[in-house]
Amino acid sequence: MSAAVTVAERIGSLVPEMIVFGGSVVVSVTGLSPKRSVRAATPFLSVLTLIAALVALTKGWGGSTTAGLLLPGVGPFARGLILLMGVGGAALAAGLVDRRYEEAVARGVAPFDPIRVVRGEFFAFMLLSICGALLIPGSPDLIWLFLALELTSLPTYIMVAMSRGTRRAQEAAVKYFFLGALSTAILVYGFALIYGSTGSLQLTEIRAALAQQSAMGGIDAVGTIGLLLVAIALCFKLAAAPMHFYAPDVYEGAAAPVTGFLSFLPKMAGFSALLLVVDAAGWGGMSNAGNGLPPALQATLWMVTVLTMTLGNVGALLQRSAKRMLAYSSIAHSGYMLMAIVAGPELGLPALLLYLLAYGVNNNAIFGALSGIERNGQEVEKVEDLAGLARRHPGAATWLAVGSASLMGMPPFLGFWAKLVLFIAVVKSGHTPLVVIAAVNSVVSVLYYLRLAGVPILAPSGAAAEGVVKTPSAGPRLAAVVFGVGVLVLPLFMNRLVSQIEKAAGVPQKMGAAAQPDALQAASR
Amino acid sequence: MTFAASMLAHSLTLAPGGGGDAAHASLADAPIVAATADPSLAWMGWVLALPAISAVLCALCAAFRVKNKLPAICTVLALGSAFALVLKLYLARGPGAAPVTVHLWDWMNFGWGGGPWKSFQADVSLYIDSLTLLWMLFVTGLGTLIALYASEYMEAERGPGYARFFFGVSVFLLAMSALVMADNLVLLYFGWEGVGLASYLLIGFYYRKPSAVAAAKKAFIMNRVGDLGLAVGIWLIWVNYGTVEFGALFQAFDDAARGVGGWDRSLIPFCLMLGAFGKSAQLPLFTWLPDAMEGPTPVSALIHAATMVTAGVYLIARMQPLFSLHPDAMATVGWIGALTALLAATIGMAQYDIKRVFAYSTISQLGYMFMGLGVGTAFGAAYHVFTHAFFKALLFLTAGAVMHGFAGQLDLRHLSGLRRVPGFRIVSWTMLIGCLWLSAFPYSAGFFSKDLILVQAMSSPRFQMLGWIGLGTAALTAYYTFRVWFRVCAGPVAYAPGDEDHGHDDPAHDAHGHAAHGDDAHGHDDHGGAFHPHAPRLAINSVLLLICAGAILAGVPGIQALRGEQNWVQEMVSNSSAVRAAGVDHVTEPVAFGMDPHKLVTVFGTGACLGGIAIALWIHLLDRRMADRLRTALLSNGLTRWLPTSMENKWYVDELYHALFRLPAWVTSHLLHFFDRHFIDGLLVNGLGRVPVAMGRLFQPLYNGALQGYAGTMAGGLVLVLAWVAWKWLGATGGAA
Repeated sequence: MSAAVTVAERIGSLVPEMIVFGGSVVVSVTGLSPKRSVRAATPFLSVLTLIAALVALTKGWGGSTTAGLLLPGVGPFARGLILLMGVGGAALAAGLVDRRYEEAVARGVAPFDPIRVVRGEFFAFMLLSICGALLIPGSPDLIWLFLALELTSLPTYIMVAMSRGTRRAQEAAVKYFFLGALSTAILVYGFALIYGSTGSLQLTEIRAALAQQSAMGGIDAVGTIGLLLVAIALCFKLAAAPMHFYAPDVYEGAAAPVTGFLSFLPKMAGFSALLLVVDAAGWGGMSNAGNGLPPALQATLWMVTVLTMTLGNVGALLQRSAKRMLAYSSIAHSGYMLMAIVAGPELGLPALLLYLLAYGVNNNAIFGALSGIERNGQEVEKVEDLAGLARRHPGAATWLAVGSASLMGMPPFLGFWAKLVLFIAVVKSGHTPLVVIAAVNSVVSVLYYLRLAGVPILAPSGAAAEGVVKTPSAGPRLAAVVFGVGVLVLPLFMNRLVSQIEKAAGVPQKMGAAAQPDALQAASR
Repeated sequence: MTFAASMLAHSLTLAPGGGGDAAHASLADAPIVAATADPSLAWMGWVLALPAISAVLCALCAAFRVKNKLPAICTVLALGSAFALVLKLYLARGPGAAPVTVHLWDWMNFGWGGGPWKSFQADVSLYIDSLTLLWMLFVTGLGTLIALYASEYMEAERGPGYARFFFGVSVFLLAMSALVMADNLVLLYFGWEGVGLASYLLIGFYYRKPSAVAAAKKAFIMNRVGDLGLAVGIWLIWVNYGTVEFGALFQAFDDAARGVGGWDRSLIPFCLMLGAFGKSAQLPLFTWLPDAMEGPTPVSALIHAATMVTAGVYLIARMQPLFSLHPDAMATVGWIGALTALLAATIGMAQYDIKRVFAYSTISQLGYMFMGLGVGTAFGAAYHVFTHAFFKALLFLTAGAVMHGFAGQLDLRHLSGLRRVPGFRIVSWTMLIGCLWLSAFPYSAGFFSKDLILVQAMSSPRFQMLGWIGLGTAALTAYYTFRVWFRVCAGPVAYAPGDEDHGHDDPAHDAHGHAAHGDDAHGHDDHGGAFHPHAPRLAINSVLLLICAGAILAGVPGIQALRGEQNWVQEMVSNSSAVRAAGVDHVTEPVAFGMDPHKLVTVFGTGACLGGIAIALWIHLLDRRMADRLRTALLSNGLTRWLPTSMENKWYVDELYHALFRLPAWVTSHLLHFFDRHFIDGLLVNGLGRVPVAMGRLFQPLYNGALQGYAGTMAGGLVLVLAWVAWKWLGATGGAA
């Protein structure tokens, strides 16, 4: 086993996780407090916890040990991203759970009954889920990885059920749970087969064993099937084909803030885990160049990529519900991001990390705008109901338009740059057909993104659109503004961002190369 | 008069042309000093940051409905500090320092492999040489003064409109500074579009007035035509030279001078020129500028007279190393400039609106600048930009003061004798200075700068024709300028108020209006009772005097040149990328009438100026009915009727554009709309668009909402993948992939 790393060191590297865990305990208590102000402070406590964890991470308390880890450079970046987007997620959900009941208590209509409030649990589960996601990038072995993935997933099932008191939310939660269990079963089976093939649970040792096998003429059938099962099981977390079926129903059933949370955090967790698995399979991480993925896995990923983005974009065209449309869009973006895995680590890894960042920021902006408005106390579901929004709520309409344009990949928004870097990476790695398919998909996606951006601004406001008001909580709107401004401002620092990410990923600086005087001088000749 | 002129000519010809003759011979292939990076000047970033901060503050003021003068204070302080920074840098560097680049932060930097054309870099960094500083000095300086002037001028708008106005001014200064200080063409383009945006916002400031909205749209659209040229030019530059950064680019131009270029390389200067003509209102894209006078007058003074419209001149001066490789392009610039100068002057002679006369004079003077660039004296052009910035801003500000005081009255037929109206003395006399400078009265700054351009044109046989056009235009300029002054400021006191109910319903405005008139019980109520003009107060008067002083001092470099001393502007230009056109040829052989170019221009220029003024004096002051009789006489004669008619109708250029572009565009757009609705939408979109939708429908049954269905499909997908892999890899190799 990894003798180089002691348990104490391992635990010492988990300070941010422990802060988040501690925060989850605290908010589960404050959520039950008989004092209304303390209960109301629960979302703020969650946000503060996440910010504290983020500070701890930037202070270097997230551990510097790299021994026994795959892709150690990804860890801090991925954990930082998870925490940052978690802040947005918690802000989005502020004022969501128990709203009716709290209003009734405030009016004195209902007595306070600790059994009936779930706000504390909701935020505790959210923090636990974030804690699980934080544990994934630094997983040394398969058991850890499995437990971390489960810790990420299990709370989300409950969050979906709690988010709205409706039967649709409960139906969505049950579906999500059963299908999640199915994917977990496949994952465990895959892990077992990998163990059977390599005789180890340590990721570094698995990598060595698989590298040896492929040097001997190919990874054996047991190992190959194990890797495939794991990859496909992780597709559930990414909402990628063929495991994407749950996404539209679950996203639509959950309340908008939870949908926003679900469309980023599990995806981030899934990609963190998938990176570890493909790296063990010979993707070729930082230090030693691998032999490339086994052909079966590479071909499967290629196919999954194409299917995912096509099904996602085509599916989104038919949708009238904004959240369902965004669910399909989330599927499609998983497809784009999977291209980065196919492209290989040197180019794909920074592109993937940048895309995850851009997607997360966009996602929070757009869901912030959607969560910040309501009609008759219900979420605004249909795109048509947003007609004329710009006249009554210019802010929400602006951030919806900015978020959609960015997701579409329209310059100069953040999404464009992420897509550009990703497409360049894929072309340079020699997968031009993939980029052609992705470009066609992007064109198709314009059809529905423009609807989401345009209807609030251009369409005349109809009867259904009357009565759209702001939600009482300012959290979602604040998140929309902060992340929306991020969509607009981050492109100004594109170069710095890309070179930071390349540094984090530990790959040679290519895209965001610092000034290349030799090339420029050559160019001027 | 003739005697005085010849004496003057004599004294001028004695002076060696600004020390230029010896210098100029070596200028033709003077090396462009390579820029060095100087991180210690990073504080210059504040010149960009200050207007940005002020824009944000003004936006906040608008959001919080601030009713006082806070936006104006923010803007004036920010712009003043920016000017102080520029001045500090200038004093530290002096006019002759080598260019430096200051890297602020990375912006775009892509590399896709080694070798030329395999990277694209455009950062937010500054390229500071003397040309930059020359422009920045008057951009920030005049910007500050005009913002100060506007703090009083715009006070009727106090509230969100006031904040909106200063927001626009701050955005303009930010964009203009980015344009002038950019170290690469992409950032320059960013600023270029930014000033266009600010100009659009400010022309359309009175957005309830349809004519202002139309003018804003016209300016924006015409500028887009030019900007397209600039964008294509930048793209071609990158394709041909592999970089967009000035430092590397100037090097590349020098290397390219020895090589042969393809057609696309020759196209570059023409593309850039189109951009410059759009921004600087030259033929064929000039008609937006007169309409832009719909904006508030401080905007006309700052953006549409002094600074933004000179961006085109800056672009060509900056890209002088490129233009000097293409003599045809240079000649085109010169000819367009001269023809614009003439055309605009003839239109200006027949306008009745004071601001429009000044607008056409701006176009005409910009024409002179382009002529200077074209005939090869970026020095003359830059000097004319510099002097023009002062005297034209002054003229617009005096026109603004008149407009402010007479309820929007700008028709020169309805204003007379203002110099005797109480409170308008400073306005009248500073306007006189502006008019003298504009008509290039001997020993005024405008005289020196125009002189340089015309001398250079006369010196070259190729461009002598341009020189004569310029001299003719100078006579027209003097005439229409003094037509305004003699009508408005001289003569018996008589005026009628305009129809603008400007300030009527604003108590604050009325209050100060009364204060200004002492015991006057009424503001400017032009409907009941006598109209009382509303005299400018401290801010406007002091700004007028300051700019007037600036205009007078702008002649100092000209006097230095006259005395054969090293002159400031020339030193500035010759330490920049425009070094190869930093002089004036000193030809001593006679070119016409037995006179050398210098003497020729001085004699004829002075004659043109005094002649124009004399005619204006005669028909617009001494015998005012003469002007009408002249017009009637011309109109009644069938042979000459076309002249005043077409001048008054601006040579029908707008109508021509309407027929040539707008009408066909209207017809085409309706045709296309029909085509779009019935073919594109009907067949293609709803047809092709049905393909993905139909595909979606195909898969729709899979999303039936049943849990078992989803689980089954997922498992089925997994089985398919495994079967495929097993068949393809595992089966074929007997167990090893």
